[in-house]
Amino acid sequence: MKPVLDAHCQSIMDEYRNNLPLFKKEEKILVKRLRSLLDKAGVNVASLESRVKTESSLAGKLELKGQKYSSLADITDILGLRIITFYTDDVDKVASAVERLFTVDWKNSVDKRKLLEIDSFGYLSLHYVCSVKSFPYKFEIQMRTVLQHSWANMNHDTGYKSGVEIPKRYRRSMSRLAGMLELVDEEFSKIRSELTDYRRKVQALVASGDLDDAPLDGDTFRSYLGMNPFGNLNRRIASMNQAEIQEVSLMPYLKVFQMLNCSTLGDISRLIKDYSEGAYQIACYQIGLTDLDIVSSSIGPQNLCIACILKRGGGKAGIRYMFDTLNGPSEANEMMAQMLVSQAMEMPFMNQEE
Amino acid sequence: MLVSITKKNQEVTAKLNGRLDTPAAQNVAEQLEPLKEDAAGTIILDCKELSYISSSGLRIFLSLRKAAAEKGGKVIVRSINNEIRSVFQMTGFLNLFQIED
Repeated sequence: MKPVLDAHCQSIMDEYRNNLPLFKKEEKILVKRLRSLLDKAGVNVASLESRVKTESSLAGKLELKGQKYSSLADITDILGLRIITFYTDDVDKVASAVERLFTVDWKNSVDKRKLLEIDSFGYLSLHYVCSVKSFPYKFEIQMRTVLQHSWANMNHDTGYKSGVEIPKRYRRSMSRLAGMLELVDEEFSKIRSELTDYRRKVQALVASGDLDDAPLDGDTFRSYLGMNPFGNLNRRIASMNQAEIQEVSLMPYLKVFQMLNCSTLGDISRLIKDYSEGAYQIACYQIGLTDLDIVSSSIGPQNLCIACILKRGGGKAGIRYMFDTLNGPSEANEMMAQMLVSQAMEMPFMNQEE
Repeated sequence: MLVSITKKNQEVTAKLNGRLDTPAAQNVAEQLEPLKEDAAGTIILDCKELSYISSSGLRIFLSLRKAAAEKGGKVIVRSINNEIRSVFQMTGFLNLFQIED
């Protein structure tokens, strides 16, 4: 049913219609500014949403409480933006960035996170009413986490509007759910914070050279690669043909080193020491007599792993497993493994005692 | 060295026929250059009839891969013979491309 509006409300509706293009234009400008702000602040958000209130929604609002507003400027949610973060502590970071970018109307802004009693659980969200000099109307920015957002949506989906009494047992269920999600939000933030501490610690270990104390995982391996541990071997191989070295990611080799029983960075360091000569001999045999003058930075680790597998008796099956791990399973990997086993039989490192 | 290019939706296929050696590389590079405009999708390098690849050929493949990486696309190297596969392996480029049999 179409809302019934008096003359005062109709004049607000007219003002809305006249200024709708202005709101749409400002919506785009604000989204762009917020995106750029979040990028600069280094906050990775789940989404940034925006909307301009529809005519029917505004008419519904005016029908209910039109006398509360003297003009369109009193309605602060015609233009609304919502920033949804992954972590609860990012809501504060976003809020602080928003405060720097816009003028916040503190009187009308609400931190619903602080409104709840200590023994109750419910909707947690931060609402800022903001303004900018270049736009005559205020607008709202909501900031919340993904979990707060899902709870708010689910709660809204029950069909009960605010102010209408929800049956007690449902209210209790929703409240219980809010409490659980709040706990989960905090746990996620805690895990992220602990992981950041762990990364800092292992980076320090790698930098100090205590490689035996640095367990081999994605973080430590990435830090280790920053020290260019295969650089000498790569340069030695490349110099054979005055080849250019093309830098590529060596992260796929993490799995191969783990497969070779490396459990610390110290194990990789020893592997480099023990098998560099073998790796070089493989390269000499393979590219020494060609005119190939470009190699990738994975040539060193690749040949190291091949030399190690062959020397430890892993044979064709071991090499194939390595290629399957790096390149995906393929019958062609069997052919290459066979070729490498045959080639290595003639290489000096295979016939030297360790 | 012959190159034929076909486009289908978000996928562009370049069939390479012959020897991609240093003398042929400049001409092939020029013919493949327009593929970089489609680098946001999938570039397939069909190597079924490619008999040889030199360093210059590898550089052409790498420049396509770089363009694809920058635009969020991918390069698939299809049906390479064993000799070319060995070149990819011995230079350390094997795991850089998605290689399909």
